Amino acid sequence: MKPYSIVRRLIGMVLVVELAAALCVTTAAFLYERHTHFRAFDVLLRGRADSILGAVQDAEDPGDNVMLDGSQLSAPPDDVYEVRDDSGRLVGRSENWTGLGSVEKLDRGGHRHGHGPDGEEHFGANLRGRHYGMIRISGYRVVDPGEKGGGVKRTVSIVYGAQMDRVWDAVLQSVSFYAVSSVVVMALTALLMLWLLHRGLRPLLELAGAASRVTVNAWEFEPPPTAQATRELAPLTEAMQAVLRRLREAFEEQQRFVGDAAHELKTGVALVKSSLQLLGMKPRSQTEYIAGLERALGDCERMEAMVAQMLTLARIEQAPLQGKAAVAEGISLLREVIDELAMMAELKQVRIELDEGSANTVTQQAIAIEPEQFKLFCRNVLMNAIQHSASGSEVRVQVREEESSAIFEFQDHGDGIGETELPYVFERFSRGDPSRSRHSGGTGLGLAICKAIVVRARGGIKIESKIGVGTCVSVRIPMASGVAEMLGD
Amino acid sequence: MRVLVVEDETRLAENIAAAFREGPGYAVDCVEDGETGAALAAERCYDLIVLDLMLPKMDGASVLKRMRSGAVNTPVLILTARSETVSKINLLNAGADDYLSKPFDLGELLARAKALIRRGKGAAHPTLREGDIEVNTLEQTVTLAGQPVVLSRMEYRILEYLMHRPRAVVSKQELLEHLYDYNWEHHSNVIEVHVSNLRKRIGGQDRIETLRGRGYRLLLPGGRTA
Repeated sequence: MKPYSIVRRLIGMVLVVELAAALCVTTAAFLYERHTHFRAFDVLLRGRADSILGAVQDAEDPGDNVMLDGSQLSAPPDDVYEVRDDSGRLVGRSENWTGLGSVEKLDRGGHRHGHGPDGEEHFGANLRGRHYGMIRISGYRVVDPGEKGGGVKRTVSIVYGAQMDRVWDAVLQSVSFYAVSSVVVMALTALLMLWLLHRGLRPLLELAGAASRVTVNAWEFEPPPTAQATRELAPLTEAMQAVLRRLREAFEEQQRFVGDAAHELKTGVALVKSSLQLLGMKPRSQTEYIAGLERALGDCERMEAMVAQMLTLARIEQAPLQGKAAVAEGISLLREVIDELAMMAELKQVRIELDEGSANTVTQQAIAIEPEQFKLFCRNVLMNAIQHSASGSEVRVQVREEESSAIFEFQDHGDGIGETELPYVFERFSRGDPSRSRHSGGTGLGLAICKAIVVRARGGIKIESKIGVGTCVSVRIPMASGVAEMLGD
Repeated sequence: MRVLVVEDETRLAENIAAAFREGPGYAVDCVEDGETGAALAAERCYDLIVLDLMLPKMDGASVLKRMRSGAVNTPVLILTARSETVSKINLLNAGADDYLSKPFDLGELLARAKALIRRGKGAAHPTLREGDIEVNTLEQTVTLAGQPVVLSRMEYRILEYLMHRPRAVVSKQELLEHLYDYNWEHHSNVIEVHVSNLRKRIGGQDRIETLRGRGYRLLLPGGRTA
């Protein structure tokens, strides 16, 4: 997946928003500027037309006509104008007057065009390839006002035009000012945000730095104060602390196991080695040699069993948790194991009783566990029970169903386990009571293997014991149907 | 000499005990847990303690600490499966005298045990020489004025113990405690026989004096005066 930067994304988003704002402002500015400039342009046209009207003079001729006194005019050279009297006679025009050309209606906001209130008319014209804004006004000039009757009133019509390009230039200039300043503001914002975000994200970087210093040899993870003071980082720091704590516990547990396993193996090797060296310390009789070799062989076999159990435990613990649960016919497997152990039980004069009545309800249902592992589990628990049972007593196995789980209970009437050792019996190499583990040839791994099997099967195991009364191991294994439901199959 | 072996692996403890009995001929007591080990060590009747580190009830390091804080000065040889230097340093600093990493060599264990016992009694060399008596603790041979003397196993052990403490009064109980394992009381009468046999072989009342009600004393005519 392509990595993306939060900083870049945030800056991009802000810039897009700013761009939209800038476009709105520029458009509004354009509309407003156009309005004001053209209004000013109209006023200017009107003023200039009025000044033309002011220049219309009595021609002092017999027909009481009017004339345009060009000497008083100061119209810009690009402007055009024409003055006619009411009879259509040309009174005067600018030198560059070429006729009105094509007359067009003005469309520039449409606030006022056409006839004004006092007879003025605005329109556009295309003169010599340029746009002109034109105004036509009517006015009158009184010829010889001193005469009797107030003189003769001469109406003149004035057409005045000025180039509109200038106005457009002015409008565009101010609009481009807005546009350019928006772009400058956006660039500055981008830089400022880059700086601010880097500054704002520093706690995250410091947190990452602190996290990267955690190794298997240095588990201490102290979130930097800046990260602790940041509310948004609190879930992350808490999650990291929790993860590290769990990892550390698991790692230390593993290390403890490796250490214990090394101790057991070294002790085993020391035992075999010392047995053989003891045999070689001095010349011995043949029977002594044979007895010594048998002892050494027994030591080897014990070590072999221990290694096998360690490997079994590792295999069970490290097998990936399967998505689809394995299925086993619990009761029939349990019967198989009981048959296997019949000889051993007979030797110890112990009876194994499977409570058939309670078994019936569960017989038909499969439990969610690997069949071989379930057999190993039953074998371990039953062998423990037989080994610690008083001779002549019985080991009772009961089965029942509870909340879509099968419950197996193994009750023996043996020597029991002391209260202080009970919490540790499931630990690997548990050696709470040496007389239990060492003398019976145990390795301290049997119950650890049992627990690992049950945990794999998403079940639970508990043990209750009373010294001199007996021990009850109770295990809960989910039914296959229940697990299938849980997994959403 | 009497050795206490604190080791929870009973077969290994059996082998070590057999090696001590067959080799230098020490009396050996074996215990399986730390608490019993610490309690027995406090009896001060041992010449050496062989201590495993991983023990039920109380670990080896705690046993060592309790012994040393209780002023038990018996030499301690640690058997450890851990081979890190730090743990060795910590053990030696806590009052251990020597250590062996498992799996160890039985011969090396015996040699180190002998050296520790010797040192614990203030002798640097394996050959003990007092006056004209010379005891080679490695070969377990005795010469009297250059002439080899043949001794029984028990007689040799009594002489070796007395040689470590010349001119001191050694009570009968001390002798019993250091030469026999925990059921020494059964040997109480036998020891008098062994002492008297030993006396005959190395030159009579002049050599080993019996102080009635107090014990025995090794005398050395012609030797250095104390």
